Amino acid sequence: MSESPPQVHPYMTWFEVDEAAIHRVLSEAMSRGADFADLYFQHSQSTSLSLEDGIVNRANTGVDRGVGIRAVIGDQVGYAFSENLGIDAMLVAARTAATIADSGAKLPPQEIHLIDSPDYYPTARVWEEVDTTERLPLLQKTESAARALEESIEKVSVHWSDSDERVLIATSDGRLCADRRPMAILSCQITAAKNGVHQSNFASYARRDGIETFDDERIQAICREAVDRTMLLFEAQRPPAGELPVVLAAGASGILLHEAIGHGLEADFNRKGTSIYSTLMDQQVAPDFVTMVDDATIPNDRGSLNVDDEGSPTERTVLIEDGVLRSYLHDRISANHYGIPSTGSGRRQTFRHVPMPRMRSTYMLGGPHTRDEIIAAVDRGIIAETFTNGQVQIGAGDFTFYIKNGWLIEGGKVTAPIKDVNIIGNGPDALRDVQMAADDMEIDMASWTCGKNGQGAPVSQGLPTVLVKSLTVGGVND
Amino acid sequence: MTEDLKKRAAEGLQMALAAGADDAVAHVGDSRETEFTYRDGKLEEVQQSTSSGLSLQLYVDGRYSTHGTTDLRPEQVRRFVEEAVALTRHLEPDPHRVIPDPALYTGRPDADLDQVDPSVDEVQRDTCLDWLKAMDEITHGDDRVISATSSVSLNSHASARVSSNSFEGTNQNTYIGYGSQVAMDEGDGRRPEAYRGVGARYLADLLPTEEVAREALERGLQRLGSGKAPSARTAMVVDPEAGGNLLGRLGSALSAGAIQQNRSFLADKKDQQITSELLTIIDEPLLPRGLGSRRFDGEGISAKRMPICEKGVLRTYYVDTYYGRKLGWEPTTGGPSNIIVELGDKGLDELIADAGDGFYVDGWLGGNADPTTGDFSFGIRGHRIENGAKGAPITEMNITGNYLELLQNLVAVGNDPNPWSSFRTPTLVFENVEFSGQ
Repeated sequence: MSESPPQVHPYMTWFEVDEAAIHRVLSEAMSRGADFADLYFQHSQSTSLSLEDGIVNRANTGVDRGVGIRAVIGDQVGYAFSENLGIDAMLVAARTAATIADSGAKLPPQEIHLIDSPDYYPTARVWEEVDTTERLPLLQKTESAARALEESIEKVSVHWSDSDERVLIATSDGRLCADRRPMAILSCQITAAKNGVHQSNFASYARRDGIETFDDERIQAICREAVDRTMLLFEAQRPPAGELPVVLAAGASGILLHEAIGHGLEADFNRKGTSIYSTLMDQQVAPDFVTMVDDATIPNDRGSLNVDDEGSPTERTVLIEDGVLRSYLHDRISANHYGIPSTGSGRRQTFRHVPMPRMRSTYMLGGPHTRDEIIAAVDRGIIAETFTNGQVQIGAGDFTFYIKNGWLIEGGKVTAPIKDVNIIGNGPDALRDVQMAADDMEIDMASWTCGKNGQGAPVSQGLPTVLVKSLTVGGVND
Repeated sequence: MTEDLKKRAAEGLQMALAAGADDAVAHVGDSRETEFTYRDGKLEEVQQSTSSGLSLQLYVDGRYSTHGTTDLRPEQVRRFVEEAVALTRHLEPDPHRVIPDPALYTGRPDADLDQVDPSVDEVQRDTCLDWLKAMDEITHGDDRVISATSSVSLNSHASARVSSNSFEGTNQNTYIGYGSQVAMDEGDGRRPEAYRGVGARYLADLLPTEEVAREALERGLQRLGSGKAPSARTAMVVDPEAGGNLLGRLGSALSAGAIQQNRSFLADKKDQQITSELLTIIDEPLLPRGLGSRRFDGEGISAKRMPICEKGVLRTYYVDTYYGRKLGWEPTTGGPSNIIVELGDKGLDELIADAGDGFYVDGWLGGNADPTTGDFSFGIRGHRIENGAKGAPITEMNITGNYLELLQNLVAVGNDPNPWSSFRTPTLVFENVEFSGQ
């Protein structure tokens, strides 16, 4: 052990550990020859509330606390977690993690130093300090605002959830990082009836932010979206089946980037050679007006991170620059594999999970066209506007996303609403087939959660209005 | 083990009542999970951990809330429970929210559901590594394999649930599963992947590891040479593994919550023909070794066999205490256990031959369904069916329609239920399905 004064962060007290304990556990994790180890302490407190049939009649609170211990040798990982933060329980978990390697200790952990991180999610107050009685009126206001917008509404459900998460990361190469991560989500689901037919739809808003972001204007906007999206369904048709030009409306259509490209650029798939993008680095993969980034630094964004879950600094990573593939999304293992710095993309769902490269906020910069020009350029096609989910096959490149609301374009004009359409395309093909992009880029602020290998991670996405020449549209045959 | 869990659950319950809850339910669970992952000739990941948690349902002054914690330090638990009760008092009272009627706890079946295989706990690390090495070798048995990953997971779980109105119950189960995933070189930059995995309560019930790995490689080889077929309205043969997902989507529309919230296309359809006469679906909680088996449900309601759909006629919804009271209905059970489909007499190959032309679907790629209207659109993975045989693999295609119409178009049910899921669906054949492609 070193003679220098111990590094103390308030979270060390919070997790009831000191520098000596951290050093012992890291040493144990490396005791069979691992070349790296890290500890991920996490404490999260969450509160959710639901309003149904006019009353806030349900609440849930949760506390989750523990440490994830990882031992790494090359690209091999040993992992164990402990909910008990006593030294003995941590040492047992560290011994389990250590078994990925099978020699004697090769390296000792270095002395830890506290690393400062930027604050991309400032809030007036942390959620722990917000009383239930302050949250309750937000749900009630949402319900009355929604009902005031439309007479045919039968049911309004409002769901609230917030969490306050403390994270402390110690690495065997001497980094000690702490982060406090807020998250709040308000969602509003509407069911309306017309002539005996029911339709239902929803809108949500999610931020790493405090209660101050949920002002009356914001609530009104969420309700407006939920109600409009529901009422459109009464008139909506199924589009024709088959290959059609698809206009992606600005905002949530960033789901195209997330599924078609983003996942394929996660470096774990590329170092294993299983991504369709693994041989395309530095090649032209899109028209030169396409620049795509994955950004952890947007203030109070759902996808933002001050420091990643491996203690690496985060950044705004340019993935595609003027149509040329420039970077994958790296965690520590893939960064070592490629011999470059991590992009700060190592994320994990909780202390129970192994980190891996993940997206944060993925979006494309604005292009040279306008939305009107784009619509006028389509003779027969669709506009994709709201989405529920998407998926991709990393290797084959086939991606899908599900359109809840959209529009038919006929003769360069928007003619009728459409609904419930699954879209399928191939990632690299779709990227090459981007024909136009407008100057109206928007980041969507809905509650998107990305799933990968069974782990969920909060993300966001954005897009300007974009025209893709052809995708397979789930619809009806003539 | 379960005695200790019961004691801990009872302590949680007492704490809730002492803090002022009128009624409460406490649930304590312990689980242990081990996983080994092997890739391209070496061990890639080892994971092992144990986990414990306490969860509570509180009924306070006509108000209701639920809570869960994994921070089990006694002082922290006490504070957590006190804060939980205090928070509940801030909610609005709900006259429909009461603890389940203890009459529903009676008549609990004492059948042995055979949920614990002691040999799962005894599987050694070296055994797992031997399996994985063999699987890795088999999955690399073709030059077009870029990468292959095999994994084994072993779980054991025990829990206890107690309530202030005399419910007491424990559960214990084990699970073992293994599988392989292969990524193939298509030659044109595409790298299609395929997976084969099996899992069960008992080690002895699994297919041999070698067979699983061989099937994974075979599936990978079958994905090569895929293309998009023309859009068509034609027959769809859904294989047993894919069928669970297709029928599982009905679950939300069958729940009393969706019906009470006017978000179910199956509301008002009880005792009506909702599928062709070929479909009989039973919810069977008492299946020995079943992955969804249980003697009581999440509310403590004693389990019983329940027909969901008989010869196409909808018989029952999933009704819990709360939404049952809101609707004025008797509770049945809150959600599915094992789903058993009455079998036909033909296997997959015969059904493909009978279909003649159309598509064989062995997996889904995204898509969604709207439980309010029954409208759906799903991406599909599978093969063309040409002249009664499985043909070229397909890519970038969707099916689109409405569940009520699709289910009426069910024309055959296979004899081959999927044993690796609580949804034991056999091959299902539908006609007049809308496919979108070229």
